[in-house]
Amino acid sequence: MAAPMAQLCVNLLPKRLGLMSQHINCSCVFFSSSSPLRQPKPLKHVVNYQRTRAEVARALRRKQNFLHHEMVDKHRASPLQSGTAQISEESGEGAPREYRYVMPEFLPNPDFQYRDKVLEKMERRDMLRRRAVIDIPEFYVGSIMAVTVSDPYSPGKTNRFVGICIDRGGRGLKAYFVLRNVVDGLGVEVMYEMYNPTVHSIQVLRLEKRLDDQLYYLRNAPLEHSTFSFDTQPVNLPRDAPVPVNTTKVKLNPKPWEYRWERFNLKGIEPLPLTAKMERGIKEHAKPWEEYDLMLKYRQTVNEDEERSIMTEVFQENSRIEGERKSSRAVLRRKK
Amino acid sequence: MKKRNKSTHSCQSCVYKINMASKSVVTLGVRPLSHSFLGSASASVYLGSNSVCLQQVRHRRFPKFVVRPSTRRPWHVRKWTEKRDESLDTSNENFIKEVIVDKYAGAVSSPLKDGPWERNPYMRETRRAGVLALKLGTLMHWKKDGTPFTVTVLQVLDNHVINYVPPEVYATYPSHNPHQGLRFGLQVVGSLSCDPRQFSKPYNNLFLKAGVPPKRWLTRFLVTPDAAIQPGTALDVNHFKIGDYVDTQGRTRDYGFQGVIKRWGMKGMPKSHGTTKSERKMGSTGGGGDKDGIWKGKHMPGMMGNHLRTMYGLKICRINTRYNLLYLAGVGVPGLPHTFIRVSDTVLPRKQRSEEQMSQVSMPTWFPEDAEEDSLPEELFSEDVFQFTEPSLQLEAEES
Repeated sequence: MAAPMAQLCVNLLPKRLGLMSQHINCSCVFFSSSSPLRQPKPLKHVVNYQRTRAEVARALRRKQNFLHHEMVDKHRASPLQSGTAQISEESGEGAPREYRYVMPEFLPNPDFQYRDKVLEKMERRDMLRRRAVIDIPEFYVGSIMAVTVSDPYSPGKTNRFVGICIDRGGRGLKAYFVLRNVVDGLGVEVMYEMYNPTVHSIQVLRLEKRLDDQLYYLRNAPLEHSTFSFDTQPVNLPRDAPVPVNTTKVKLNPKPWEYRWERFNLKGIEPLPLTAKMERGIKEHAKPWEEYDLMLKYRQTVNEDEERSIMTEVFQENSRIEGERKSSRAVLRRKK
Repeated sequence: MKKRNKSTHSCQSCVYKINMASKSVVTLGVRPLSHSFLGSASASVYLGSNSVCLQQVRHRRFPKFVVRPSTRRPWHVRKWTEKRDESLDTSNENFIKEVIVDKYAGAVSSPLKDGPWERNPYMRETRRAGVLALKLGTLMHWKKDGTPFTVTVLQVLDNHVINYVPPEVYATYPSHNPHQGLRFGLQVVGSLSCDPRQFSKPYNNLFLKAGVPPKRWLTRFLVTPDAAIQPGTALDVNHFKIGDYVDTQGRTRDYGFQGVIKRWGMKGMPKSHGTTKSERKMGSTGGGGDKDGIWKGKHMPGMMGNHLRTMYGLKICRINTRYNLLYLAGVGVPGLPHTFIRVSDTVLPRKQRSEEQMSQVSMPTWFPEDAEEDSLPEELFSEDVFQFTEPSLQLEAEES
């Protein structure tokens, strides 16, 4: 079918133009089995899917001092490599799916530029070692917690603070959480690093969740919402009970606010009285398409297979630590 | 500018830096004599101060960075080849891979052909070879008093010594700096073993002497002859000890072509009040009168990054001997993660080894025979670094 069409093109074209097109682009010349002669390129505009020479050169430029992370892993596993041990993949009983919400700080940075298998493994090992020394319990944003740290400026050299967890973040050894409380009529927020050696104990007084991921709006709410007694007694949930969700709706103070809370789509606050200007701002800054942006989700989360292998390792190690802790407690009870 | 150039000689590339730190107005330009002369048999006789002619170069400022020529060095061999045998099927391919592994796995573990070289004690003047490491990233650590600090983690992966060039031969090389005289020889170190079929034949021939598989990356260190290492020796993280200070050198992140705001931190121009299309431009390029014209070294848009940079004097605070990891206290190691980094003993005079440390240095490098009878511990820590197996920090209450 292509050959007669090409023939037709040749007949229609003036001779000189056909020659010119041959000169311009020799790589895209048609060949047909029926006619051994070179056929000129048709006049129709053809989209050039091939990149320009400069683009190709840029893509092929050897980064002289830089290796892709897959290439590094390939070299580590190469039979020609000697002297360095390889990290082993964990197998066995897998972690439950919701484990990523219990210990989110174990998931690495999803940006591939900053990922390295060996470094992540070493960091996890350090974190689990610290977890074997102090008990870092399961907690969420909205839980009431008590933290004891060593403090050189307090008379007893330790300081205990009680408050509501309003934020949780960071990855690896840099993981942190923020507690908020009211002391002498003044709102106080303290950020604690979870793996800091000055932390003596982390205790969850009331395990519960809130409707939002961050509770910074409590700064602009009446102080009664963030006031918690330092003598609060811990409340134990029954075993295997789901974590309760506190559906309290907070009524914010009138403006001025720290941020424009009406733009944050918060669920834990009562409906705000909106002016026309505020509504305009909401409409301007809304990003409704992000809900359907699959690539955005892909970039912001770790691959599911990798997550499973990481969480399996953490789950197994953590259950081993808890088993040891239980047996040591039993030994102590027997001694008493 | 015109006046300043009059006193300089025509060959700018021959101006050697004498004092990097000073920005003095007057510096010395040093012009080495011809390379053919250096290649003669009597080169070592003349390699004193006689071999250079001293000429004053006035008002020369050192460049921010050296733009290296894009042409290949004449003494470098061609590295990569695209030749591939297309007729091989899968079984043949696997067989060839097995042969390659058999050939090199035996060669690396076999005793070296000639006897081991003599091992000298470590002196103040000694300069040892370094290693080629991969930068992995940064972590957070704490000291024993609770102070946080950041560590940079490097992995020493698959390092071998490829070649040693004694000072007399190195003096005949065009890259030799005549100021160093006969003090240093060259130690070539390579990292990351590869399939030899992807390299050219002259490149593969570089590794015949050492008997190791061809390496992806080669570098060379200047070493004093008493610290020379025999080709074929494997280098690993035990080359360094806890508490040593090291210099790390590598290429910075490649930003490509950037404007003046990102490249030089200029302020740009106001966004409104009549300004158009000049928010990120550089503004004036200079004054008039006696100082007119655009001076050399004027900050302008251009290629940013991918420069060779050195971070001096980072302390080794933790070592993992199983995975060959170096933990350096501090940040500033150039480049993104998985950048090649040259790690060597520091040149900073205030951070040299103490007498006690000097007796513990492994010279010229660490050999597996040096290990004590019980095997090496997997992890080594500096004294002031908090280990995560320790209990939390307890402060003693003051008695009052």
